Amino acid sequence: MTTFVDALHLVLQTDVLLAILLASIYGMVVGAMPGLTATMATALLVPITFYLSPIAAIATIISASAMAIFAGDIPGALLRIPGTPASAAYTDEAYAMTRKGRPELALGIALWFSAAGGFAGAIALMVIAPVLAEFALRFSTFEYFWLAFLGLMCATIVSRSSPVKAVVSMLLGLLIACVGMENPAATPRFTFGITDLLGGIDVISALVGMFAVAEVMRCMIKPAPPAPPRRKFGSILANQWQLTKQYPVAQARGSLTGIMVGVVPGAGADIAAWVSYSISKRFSKERKKFGTGHPEGLIEAGASNNASLAGSWVPSLLFGIPGDTITAIAIGVLYMKGLNPGPTLFTDKADHMYALYIIFMLAQILMIPLGLVMIRLASQVLRAPYSLVMPVVLLCCAVGTFAIGNTASAIVIAAVFGVVGFTMERYGFPVAAMVLGIVMGTLLEQAFIASLMKSGGNPMPFFERPVSMVLASMAILCLAWPVLLWLYGRVRAKAPVNPG
Amino acid sequence: MQQSHRIVGLITAAIGAAAFYGGTQLPPSPGQNIGPSLFPMVIGTGLMFCGVLIALGVGRSYEAEVKAEMAALEETFAEQEAGTQGRFHGYRAFIPPALMIFFAAALEPLGFVATAALVALALSRLLGATWWVAAATALISAPLIHLAFFKLLRVPLPAGLVPMPW
Repeated sequence: MTTFVDALHLVLQTDVLLAILLASIYGMVVGAMPGLTATMATALLVPITFYLSPIAAIATIISASAMAIFAGDIPGALLRIPGTPASAAYTDEAYAMTRKGRPELALGIALWFSAAGGFAGAIALMVIAPVLAEFALRFSTFEYFWLAFLGLMCATIVSRSSPVKAVVSMLLGLLIACVGMENPAATPRFTFGITDLLGGIDVISALVGMFAVAEVMRCMIKPAPPAPPRRKFGSILANQWQLTKQYPVAQARGSLTGIMVGVVPGAGADIAAWVSYSISKRFSKERKKFGTGHPEGLIEAGASNNASLAGSWVPSLLFGIPGDTITAIAIGVLYMKGLNPGPTLFTDKADHMYALYIIFMLAQILMIPLGLVMIRLASQVLRAPYSLVMPVVLLCCAVGTFAIGNTASAIVIAAVFGVVGFTMERYGFPVAAMVLGIVMGTLLEQAFIASLMKSGGNPMPFFERPVSMVLASMAILCLAWPVLLWLYGRVRAKAPVNPG
Repeated sequence: MQQSHRIVGLITAAIGAAAFYGGTQLPPSPGQNIGPSLFPMVIGTGLMFCGVLIALGVGRSYEAEVKAEMAALEETFAEQEAGTQGRFHGYRAFIPPALMIFFAAALEPLGFVATAALVALALSRLLGATWWVAAATALISAPLIHLAFFKLLRVPLPAGLVPMPW
């Protein structure tokens, strides 16, 4: 109880409350603009978090990302263009509802069930994380190695791309993490005599490049979204309570799926929404209505993508393994603020963890009024042309990366990684897997080398402890999964077709 | 398409080979069997193997499935895009990183406000704004961002040619 009161004290500071409010407004606006993603919103916030208290810094990330994921539904429903990738799964459904003359219902579902999903996610984080933390206190370097390896493998499996290309992305990320002196022997690696690279490639600059600069690059070659028609909305939240009572299973299943997908490293809100929409369609009693503006899929997927946000904080806080691209950025902020991820965080800084749960709850509550305002202003916000928005975004990228170390080389790194992110996506390489590689490279190498040193180069101890054996089996299964699927497909293709 | 897969696979394998070679050139840790070379060599081997798989076309069926799923969603966008593409249209994408490198190079001699205004003006024009709108974007955004980062966040941005009153 004392810890909870301490946490409340931490949150109820003027700077923290102001940070939550401003970051929420910022997240709402960025998320609502097609082409600007929630990850990009988070990446651009990082330089500002340098100057905030630890709790205010975390609060900005949580609030901005939660709002952006919801706000992405607004252009999806009004223009059939998802504001963020997390809305893509059900954009057609929401737009079909708008075409039936019920945009209020589509937007109301998005708002209400996003907040409900976010709430469920926050509760799950509160329950799961401390329990796992207690268990994780017994982990040695062998378990950490397998856990990191499993995380990377999961990220390659869940990516919506060729598994081989996902593995390549992940390996490239690990290779980038090799640059510099941050290795067990402190030997300069791949620095090519450049002093600025001795400290390694700055992760935040790289992420700003891959998520923000690459997005500006994409906007250069795609047409600006059409302006939405000016319209007056009726009551947004009417019928939502009735829908809550009508579809309790969809809502609960969506939240649960979102939490589980969120916990899987590398799988974020977009994957949660795709999975939940498919599940909803598969198990619905009114399957034929899907695609015609039916609320069930919207409820399930809308709850799911917001629930995944909190879920993705579980591995991030416990092991420093990012649950998605947003938490990949958040981990950098946690380290910067002295809140190094690990199971001890839940004992040594318990008040900070409680503060984090409270911020999650506050963000969901704030989402409702801010969301209502944003929906009413949507016609105006969605009219902002790329020619006004993108120069500001690019300048924020430049000045934000400069602020990291007050050096122009960080800007060059962001520019280079912008090209890398853009090119990789063009050729079907998932950027999220690379980000995970970059963020987890040092952790994986340290655990790998420390374990090998402990065992004197003998690989057997990697499989001897019970937990490490389970994790190793899971990791190897993940590695073999694409091959097994391919073999299964071949066998099925060769099987004789039954004429009956 | 087949050709493109082979080229991508080849480039991946080449990066892997370079990483492996780079790893072998690293000095060993004194008194240890395992040094800083092991990790890059493992990564290099993995990249070489995956490069070969990509060149052979392994995993292409997954990409085709996802592409088909996304194509349905993006058809409206694709229709609009078709009319706007010229021969060198795709290269426009590389203008933002080029502008950032210009920003990095010009920041010290020109100062933040002048450099930022030039970058904003260029990008705004390239994205279709009229000269007036682009100039307004540049003249408003550069000082405002300077105010936010220099005054509020205390980032030491170089003053250069156009020092600000704050």
